[in-house]
Amino acid sequence: MAAMDEVDRRRFLSLLGAGVAGVSLPGLVAGCAPGGSGAGSGSGKDRPLSAAFNQPINDLDPHGASAVDEASLLANRQIYDTLVTRTGDELAPKLAKSWTQPDDKTWEFTLRDDVTFHDGSKLTSADVKASLERLAKSDGPQKPLWTAIGTVEAPDPHTIRITTTDPLGTLPTNLTLAFILPAAQLGRADFFRKPIGSGPFAVESFTPSSQLLLKPVKNYWGGAPTLPGLRLPYIPETSTRMTSLQNGEVDVTWIIPPDELKRLAGVDGVRIESKPGVNYFLAWFNCGRKPFSDARVRRALYHALDIKGIVASLYGDAATVMDAPIPAAVFGHASQQPYAYDPELAKRELAEAGYSSGIRTSMMWFKDTGPLATELAQSLISAWAKVGVVVEQQQIEKAAWIKRLTALDWDIELQVNTVTTGDADYTLGRLYTSTANRMGYANKELDGILAQARSTADQEKRKSLYAQACEIIWRDAVGVFPAALSSTYGLRGAVKGFSPAANSQPEFRTVSTAQ
Amino acid sequence: MTAFVGRRLAQALLQIWGAITIVFVALRVLPGDPAELILGSQATPEQLAGLRAQLGLDDPLPVQYLHHLQGLLRLDFGQSWRQGVSALDACLERLGPTLVLSAWAMVFTVVLGFLTGSYAARHANSVADRLISVSSLVGQALPPFWIGIMLSLIFARGLQILPSTADGTMASLLLPAFTLALPFVGWLGRLVRTGVLEEMNQDYVRTARAKGLSDQVVFYVHVLRNTLVPIVTMLGLLMGNFIANGVIVEVVFAWPGIGRLLVDSITFRDYAVVEAVLTVITVCYITLNLLVDVLYGYLDPRIQLENA
Repeated sequence: MAAMDEVDRRRFLSLLGAGVAGVSLPGLVAGCAPGGSGAGSGSGKDRPLSAAFNQPINDLDPHGASAVDEASLLANRQIYDTLVTRTGDELAPKLAKSWTQPDDKTWEFTLRDDVTFHDGSKLTSADVKASLERLAKSDGPQKPLWTAIGTVEAPDPHTIRITTTDPLGTLPTNLTLAFILPAAQLGRADFFRKPIGSGPFAVESFTPSSQLLLKPVKNYWGGAPTLPGLRLPYIPETSTRMTSLQNGEVDVTWIIPPDELKRLAGVDGVRIESKPGVNYFLAWFNCGRKPFSDARVRRALYHALDIKGIVASLYGDAATVMDAPIPAAVFGHASQQPYAYDPELAKRELAEAGYSSGIRTSMMWFKDTGPLATELAQSLISAWAKVGVVVEQQQIEKAAWIKRLTALDWDIELQVNTVTTGDADYTLGRLYTSTANRMGYANKELDGILAQARSTADQEKRKSLYAQACEIIWRDAVGVFPAALSSTYGLRGAVKGFSPAANSQPEFRTVSTAQ
Repeated sequence: MTAFVGRRLAQALLQIWGAITIVFVALRVLPGDPAELILGSQATPEQLAGLRAQLGLDDPLPVQYLHHLQGLLRLDFGQSWRQGVSALDACLERLGPTLVLSAWAMVFTVVLGFLTGSYAARHANSVADRLISVSSLVGQALPPFWIGIMLSLIFARGLQILPSTADGTMASLLLPAFTLALPFVGWLGRLVRTGVLEEMNQDYVRTARAKGLSDQVVFYVHVLRNTLVPIVTMLGLLMGNFIANGVIVEVVFAWPGIGRLLVDSITFRDYAVVEAVLTVITVCYITLNLLVDVLYGYLDPRIQLENA
């Protein structure tokens, strides 16, 4: 019996050895799988361009839970088309050749007739109707943009008629976020794993929050992309992302953090391009709570800050000091008179408001809200301490932050906000009304201006209305608006035809790589 | 033997149930609400309430727990709200790359661990032995994320000879696998060293030498093989460690594995996926432990007798 055991054990050990080899051998082969593309640091003619954004693409449903995530929008812009697009300050035709407004609650869009989906089927008004209705019904974060949609009709294959329950001047702007899907395929359960759109790139493979691999669409109606393919990997660790740009694993990466800008600019084979962005830091005061219900206190806190100095030392070229409650790159921005840095004036104003002995309060934020958020928070807090305002630091997790933000359970809160549509309505019109009640601020005059700016379709009139809104929000110091972040891109020398996008959603159709 | 395996199996099931319960409670105790994260900060209370009902979040906790357990019996963890697919599928899809990484880390650990350990034992108390001892301690003490970033800075950014992210090539495996292996190379090296030294003093070694066998033959044929027995059984535990430590290494090297999925899912309160991932990791770990226990009992029958 003992002898049997002896033999068995030996045989067993050798089997185990073979087992280990067996595990590692397929591993050797499978090791090539995760990246998927076979794209190494070497460059070949057919190597897809690698473009790494600093946020993960969670899913490809453009009407779903990630519908306003910048990373999802980036992906959606390559795969799908919208009726209208934005170029700079202007709205431009895309799937819609033109549009008219028969009355102030009705819009008519005429569609292009040369557009096909990636599977070859024609894009018609039925697809647009199905997509817009899906969007209006969705529970995603775009829902507030579409609550005023009444009916969507498709009288003929090239016409789409939208009626709204109230006049909605921002409809064409909102449509820049409404991606059109093929109606026939919408019921398929696994559709969004490898979706089909009508955009310049088609999905080859997708691993959520990890990598999206795209191939060019040769017969794209707007002209075929030059690139042999496009890889959008997500690299969570910033230091790794910078390394992969430097050794050529990725060809383009954005956003470059402020503390890396200078270093990267000196690296051979890498160039930096940037554009004023639509992301900006704001530090709201909870205007419904003492002591911030008093505008004098809020203004005093603004005067206590050397915003220029803080922004320059933290961000350098990666951000600009703001002169309005929205960044300069946004439609509706109007410059305001900056609050002068004057700690003595701040102390006097605090004393006038009855707080000569100082204030104890708190500020909350989450670390990843934006670059150097903690450093910025600390700079603000130490400046406020100098005028007798003691602010407790509350750096918390994102999920907890959202919960407290919506419950108005905070004194001061710091965040990076994004004007996703590039239009003031998205931020001012959505956040600052008394009914939205996002920071306890209520102003009937402002409510009226914002409602009017939303309903009118006359862009010049909207501009002047938002100028008034900017002035009121700025004058009442609803918050401190320290810095608009630039969209900073790092590119390998070989990348040509790239133009940096303010909204972090660059176009890749026109990009090429010189060999 | 059957009774021994049966009892260990029952224990394993109990452990898995315990882990599932702890994960369930821990996730619900955390502040933060998936409905708020899905709808964003501009959602109205009605929208939030509707979505909560749809996700089953407004049921009392015990009811949610029962539903959860019922689902688990059918291997149904629910849907991932972020990815729109079944949570288990989302999880299994990412298990492959993690297993590949762990397998390679295992290869590195075994090869380097045995090389350094046996070298140190054969040159016990030499300068080289001390150097190996000290560096293995240092290797065990350094946090993996630091090792990872340093290796990436040196080999990917500085020398530019290895990729820093998973780009589909074999070369991209080297840095993460080595980062994962390093702390355990020292650990295994010390085990091998002690084992070899112990065996060297055994009677059979003296006998073998007395027969006139060369040092090489004595070492490779007799000593090393006997050292293997206790150490091979430790390797199962190592695999579990790799999967757990992989969470950090996968983030540093952008490896598309299960660890990164876990981190992302926690951030977004994607309960279903977090539960699926943690359950899969727990089951892997407990199964490996179970295998090791059974294996050990088999390799060394005295263990079973003690437990009987």
